[in-house]
Amino acid sequence: MSLYQWLLFFHVTGVFFLIGGIVIAGILNLAAIVKDRRPSEVAALYTLIRFAVPLIGAGLLLTLVIGLWLVHNVGYGYGQTWIVAAIVLWVVGSALGNIDGKYQRQTGELAQRLAAEGDAPSPELRARLLNPLAIVISYASGLTAFAILGLMIWKPGA
Amino acid sequence: MVLALIRPDSWNLPLFLHVLGATLTFGATATVALLGFAGQRGDPDRAVWLRGLAFWVGLVVLVPAFIVMRGTALWILDKEFPGGHNEPGWVGVGFFVTEPGALLVIVMMVLAWFTRSPKSRSAVAVPWLASILLVALAVAWFAMSAKPGG
Repeated sequence: MSLYQWLLFFHVTGVFFLIGGIVIAGILNLAAIVKDRRPSEVAALYTLIRFAVPLIGAGLLLTLVIGLWLVHNVGYGYGQTWIVAAIVLWVVGSALGNIDGKYQRQTGELAQRLAAEGDAPSPELRARLLNPLAIVISYASGLTAFAILGLMIWKPGA
Repeated sequence: MVLALIRPDSWNLPLFLHVLGATLTFGATATVALLGFAGQRGDPDRAVWLRGLAFWVGLVVLVPAFIVMRGTALWILDKEFPGGHNEPGWVGVGFFVTEPGALLVIVMMVLAWFTRSPKSRSAVAVPWLASILLVALAVAWFAMSAKPGG
């Protein structure tokens, strides 16, 4: 197999890791939000979300590094519209994901503490889970990955 | 090499939906596996609840995503290789994975339905079947992206 084929495989692997991780985190986050759950249930779901973090991290790294290498290998220009747009979205998505990750980690820690202190329903935990700004940041960070996927397929301006 | 990467615009939508469906299938399958493994230990009530969630994730996310992935694969195949002529080997890998994969998803969903009972003995099978599907999906995305031999 040629270098291009290997690069494309690892780039697509990054896409699967990134979107797969986002889907895992999104589903488990949604499961915690849709019903008024006990803190121990929220804690259980947030413990599982942790498995998505290395997947998302590896996906971010592979998509960017191998993606830039592919641009060079194929002979595209680094200044082409779709490549610049994809890099901007990658940076924005990563920044939003970083903010979201810290917020989710604190929510998980609160759920664990409340579970250990009697597992009674908590308005504070519910408010954190339903915080509109946090939800917007969380889902916006995920949607950037889908937008980047669209750019990679349509390549506007290529 | 750039010329080799140019494809007709009419292929873009099915390709986008195919990759989207495949990545959603991967994420949903991994979620079913995670919930399934977590639902095998600890408090019995908690375990049954997690296994029930695995079933619903499978039904609401995995099955539709799998259908999108498979349906759009046929759509783009019809555009790229009309009439099924001169299909390269990597296309066959896709069929080799998704046809038994569909059966695997059906068996997994039936077993996941039964694992919602506390006395179910099939609970152990669901996350392992999901793990097998994950490996099969990885084989398919290797064939689809690298296109070895073709």
